[in-house]
Amino acid sequence: MNEIALTSADRFDIRDWLRLEMFPHFLCPGCGHGLALRAFLWAVHELGIDRDALAVISGIGCAGRLSAYVDANTFHVTHGRPLAFATGLKLARPDLTVVVITGDGDGLAIGGNHLIHACRRNLDLTCLLLNNEVYGMTGGQVSPTTAAERYTTTTPAGNCEPGFDACKLAEGAGATFVGREATLQVPTLKNLIREAIAHKGFSFVEVISDCTEIFGRKNALGNSPEMVLRQKAGMRPDNWGNKVDRPFRPNPFPTGVFVRKTRPEYLELYEAMTAAARREERD
Amino acid sequence: MRVQEPNRAAVETRDHARVTSVLMVGVGGQGILMVSKVLATLCQNAGMEVKQSEVHGMAKRGGAVFSHIRFGPEVHSPLIPEGEADVLLALEWAEGLRWLHYLRPGEGVFISDVRRIVPPFACRNRGRGVTPEYARATPAEIIGRLGTGYALDATGIARGLGNERTANTVLLGVLSTALAFPEEAWIEVISRVVPAETLEINRAAFLAGRAWVAEATVPEEEASPVTADPLLARITHRLEITRAWCKGCDICVKFCPERCLVLDEEQIALLAEPEACTGCRLCEWLCPDFAIRLHKEVPAPGASTSPETTSGTAGCDR
Repeated sequence: MNEIALTSADRFDIRDWLRLEMFPHFLCPGCGHGLALRAFLWAVHELGIDRDALAVISGIGCAGRLSAYVDANTFHVTHGRPLAFATGLKLARPDLTVVVITGDGDGLAIGGNHLIHACRRNLDLTCLLLNNEVYGMTGGQVSPTTAAERYTTTTPAGNCEPGFDACKLAEGAGATFVGREATLQVPTLKNLIREAIAHKGFSFVEVISDCTEIFGRKNALGNSPEMVLRQKAGMRPDNWGNKVDRPFRPNPFPTGVFVRKTRPEYLELYEAMTAAARREERD
Repeated sequence: MRVQEPNRAAVETRDHARVTSVLMVGVGGQGILMVSKVLATLCQNAGMEVKQSEVHGMAKRGGAVFSHIRFGPEVHSPLIPEGEADVLLALEWAEGLRWLHYLRPGEGVFISDVRRIVPPFACRNRGRGVTPEYARATPAEIIGRLGTGYALDATGIARGLGNERTANTVLLGVLSTALAFPEEAWIEVISRVVPAETLEINRAAFLAGRAWVAEATVPEEEASPVTADPLLARITHRLEITRAWCKGCDICVKFCPERCLVLDEEQIALLAEPEACTGCRLCEWLCPDFAIRLHKEVPAPGASTSPETTSGTAGCDR
């Protein structure tokens, strides 16, 4: 029998991109982060990026551990600072494709400041924010994106704060590409990430992921398959507001590309500025 | 494909003293309402009483898309009783067969496009290379059983004219030969009903339909049966499950459209029904642990082609 590859899905084998000696990975059964990692690596594969030209940087948390499994240049950095490290790396090595994998706690709580300034600066980075609404690794504390009334170990009577809309934050801070997709739709998510990586400038993708073992159990959201299915059925009822964008069809959970615009990229501005300064010095 | 019959002009010669019934059927979006509007307007212009009633639904999902048109000096019921339609005009082949029992036995005129629009539920068996469960009867068989029948590739004719969407007007041209209205009257009504920019092509389509009937019997090519690509039929699928990586999250088991995966006694995914696997890759994509891999294979050239060696499990322990 000969193996045959007719489609992109046939040609992509995720094991070509993994550090196989580290498997099975540490994620809990049914964790959505694995699906996000597959979509990301599939997008990289489709873009034809060489593994030596790819840098994956991640912070602390469940999402932060993902970079360790990718067979490329990877950095596992301090809590909340993957974007700061990525900024330095991209400025030093503009030839690399730099992708940041961060979580809702890492990217929006302790690293929130870095996120808004990365958006504002518009350096050519891609930020994947894996949002599972909870601090899973440390035992299930409330996170900035936990929806109101959800139970966590630190909100035993229900969360009394509203959740954070990361996409609106990125848009407001000036990101030139903003999108959101759920892990249920792996090929769609792959296409979104591919477009985000190909985009020139700072691109922000929020991946709706599932914490099955901790968040799902605390909130009685069912087992892993039920949680994955629930992603499209208003699992996060009040997080994005019940904005009616189509008549007769309230959409509590918009996905897709929200922002796609062009603005001068930071590295280009920086190089133009330094070149001008050098000319001035010479003259 | 057509059958020339002595009573071909049965409807035409019939005086309009009694009610004539025309049933138009098809799939949503083909333009049944447009052609029924043309016929109804035409009859109205001729001073007859017309009743037209329609249902638009999703024909290919079990609903109904049809239009009853009855005209004559005095029409009472808007609906055609079973077995009393003088003309059955079908814009899609299987829909034509579905409504065949409405045709007046022996004398009704059957006009149908041979184009096939295969519905989703005809593909219930999603295995590679499986022929959809579409109507098996060939146009020759059906037309042979009827008094007067026309089966033509109206869509092909319309495509040749430059717009596939005028297939309904081609069929209207065929219909016009079965009813006693002058050609100019038809064209006049058509030009009032269709959008102005498509006037010329609709006119050409109408004339092409009439010309098709006027031509001598030519052996039409049989409509090719709906079959899958032979290469796709030869592809086999092998699902590889890495037991050491599987954490038993149950996602693949619950999401498999063919329900061919189970969790074994150690709570590890197992391909229980390899022959049911269609290689859709849903389990591979939704496995958070990357434990499932699908291999598509074709028999090596020269190797004996045994179709039964399809998918199987190769539980590989790392």
